[in-house]
Amino acid sequence: MEIYLGVDVGSVTTKLAALDENEGLVGSLYLRTQGKPIVMVQQGMRDIAECLPAGAVVRGVGTTGSARYLAGVLVGADVVKNEITAHAVGATHYVPDVQTIFEIGGQDSKIIILRQGVVVDFAMNTVCAAGTGSFLDQQASRLSMKIEDFGRQALESQMPVRIAGRCTVFAESDMIHKQQMGHRTEDILYGLCEALVRNYLNNIGLGKEILPPVVFQGGVAFNPGIVRAFEDTLKTKLIVPPYHEVMGAIGAALLAKEEIESHRRETQFRGFGISDMSFHTSSFECKACANICEIAQIMGDGKVVARWGGRCDMWERTSASVEQQA
Amino acid sequence: MKVAMPHMGHIYVPLRTLFREVGVEMVVPPLNSRRTLTLGAKHSPEFVCIPFKLTLGNFIEALEMGADTLVMAAGPGLCRFGYYAKIQERILRDQGYHFEMVTTELFESKLMGVANLVKRLSNGAPTQKVLAAIRFGLAKLGTLDELERVLHQVRATEAEKGSADQVFQQALAAIDGADSRAALKEIKNRYLMKLQQVERDGETEPVVVGITGEFYVVLEPFSNMDLERELGRLGAEVRRTTFVSEWMKFSLFLNAFGLSEKDRIHQAAAPYLRRDVGGDGWESVGDIILHSHDYDGLIHVAPFTCGPEIIAQNIFPAIKTRIPVLTVICDEQMGRAGMLTRLEAFVELLRRRRARKGLAVAALVP
Repeated sequence: MEIYLGVDVGSVTTKLAALDENEGLVGSLYLRTQGKPIVMVQQGMRDIAECLPAGAVVRGVGTTGSARYLAGVLVGADVVKNEITAHAVGATHYVPDVQTIFEIGGQDSKIIILRQGVVVDFAMNTVCAAGTGSFLDQQASRLSMKIEDFGRQALESQMPVRIAGRCTVFAESDMIHKQQMGHRTEDILYGLCEALVRNYLNNIGLGKEILPPVVFQGGVAFNPGIVRAFEDTLKTKLIVPPYHEVMGAIGAALLAKEEIESHRRETQFRGFGISDMSFHTSSFECKACANICEIAQIMGDGKVVARWGGRCDMWERTSASVEQQA
Repeated sequence: MKVAMPHMGHIYVPLRTLFREVGVEMVVPPLNSRRTLTLGAKHSPEFVCIPFKLTLGNFIEALEMGADTLVMAAGPGLCRFGYYAKIQERILRDQGYHFEMVTTELFESKLMGVANLVKRLSNGAPTQKVLAAIRFGLAKLGTLDELERVLHQVRATEAEKGSADQVFQQALAAIDGADSRAALKEIKNRYLMKLQQVERDGETEPVVVGITGEFYVVLEPFSNMDLERELGRLGAEVRRTTFVSEWMKFSLFLNAFGLSEKDRIHQAAAPYLRRDVGGDGWESVGDIILHSHDYDGLIHVAPFTCGPEIIAQNIFPAIKTRIPVLTVICDEQMGRAGMLTRLEAFVELLRRRRARKGLAVAALVP
């Protein structure tokens, strides 16, 4: 069996997906990044190798997510792509006529507008956490509730209360206020879902033409409360596709397959052995000019595998030549 | 007397020439860097825009180098930038610096106003000499802009990333040193050729990305995180809507005759905005409509908290015939990784969009 791997390393979670030559999902993983992207990529590779049938050969690998360059160096990626493209490619695979994608992850959220299978517009949230999974996580833990139970309980609401949602700070004090006034927990929870949806649509959804089919993916799509709040607000049914939580990784795998097939070339995959290599990172300040850039350096088994972080090409070029020598 | 002005792109080259020609010593502070921004931000109100912070940083670094006369654009017709000279003067005095602050009101004073200012700074150099110096400075400015337009094209398809920029840096130094119009002309031709000779590969027809927005952040690469270079690296050809030489030509000369480069832009914007909203907000709206056919996409750059550009940004979604627009907010808190992800996704979007357009055309032709 031929395998194409996709690795999506986000701020909060790390996702892996393995597709076969017919683009069917063979295995997937959803892990918490826990602030240790290198360790999680290594662990993920070890775990996904176990999902694969005997005799499976990796033909290509793609990376995406905010740590896509780092992950790309670790695994030897054939393609390193931004999250927008990866998510769009993944969603189109399951819902070919999709026109709108909502993606809400741990620390960022996106809206992607497609027409006839092509991305025509997108937006990512900038500095605000009030439209993302962390916002819900934080509030669930304040109510000492598991995030997994959040949505189910919110759905029991009969009389949702209005929560100020512009900012997590306002939302939190408003929630406390409503709770101290004696409102029921489920009504507050659903109110919070509505606040997040309002925030999302008013910030990154601003001025976007939201046409069906609307696909909702990312970790927050697990939350049925949010799904219902979107549907109530937009008066449109949302499609939560299977494997929505690993859609970016699936997209990265598909992009790797496209890259390998269109260029008819061999993969640069380093092999599952990377799980046992010792990688470590260090950083230093470049003093070549007044910008004093922080250069990050990634070492694999004692050799420099990559350097980046500068405003100029100086260190990236050095790393390319270092790699060639190695 | 040691004169200093803030940085904005490579405008220091023609300015240095201008002052040298009339015998005034000019102190050029280091190009904008982290240090400049840190110094500027430290003494600035938090929510003021990045042009204020960087220009204040430039002044501090210039004063450290011994400058005693600071020149700053000011006056009505801009945005709150018009008041920055006054505020910066007070901040710097509070810091204990001694200097004279000279402001130029370009919109009010036109060519003669600038000439009088130069005359004053040079302790009464003859008008003839001042005008010749201004002309020479403008010639350098024009040359730089001309080379930069070519740089924008070459970058998109160069074989080794960064090689066109290396040529441009050499050109910059050569132009800075040029001491006559003849020498300047020779340098221009030589480097135009060198730029064209940079080895190319990649797409033959790269996607074309326009850049519009607030004047300073469009023109100062440090403030927009080297937006143009990053786009070039991604294989996109940049068309900047603003060049200082063009703008100077109108504000120094042609505006005096009632000619404005902006009429056309304002006309285009008319269905959505019919008045000046300060700064360059009106032009940003117009540019998007004006260039909906010749660019694949447009990047709108604006300083954080910039009133005029916030107005423009909120008008964009209503514009029906528009091309894809990406707004990039420039601020000292801005993260480089986030911006690069957006740029990469944007260029990808434009590329796939164009491929689809190509398909649509191909489908029509039997």
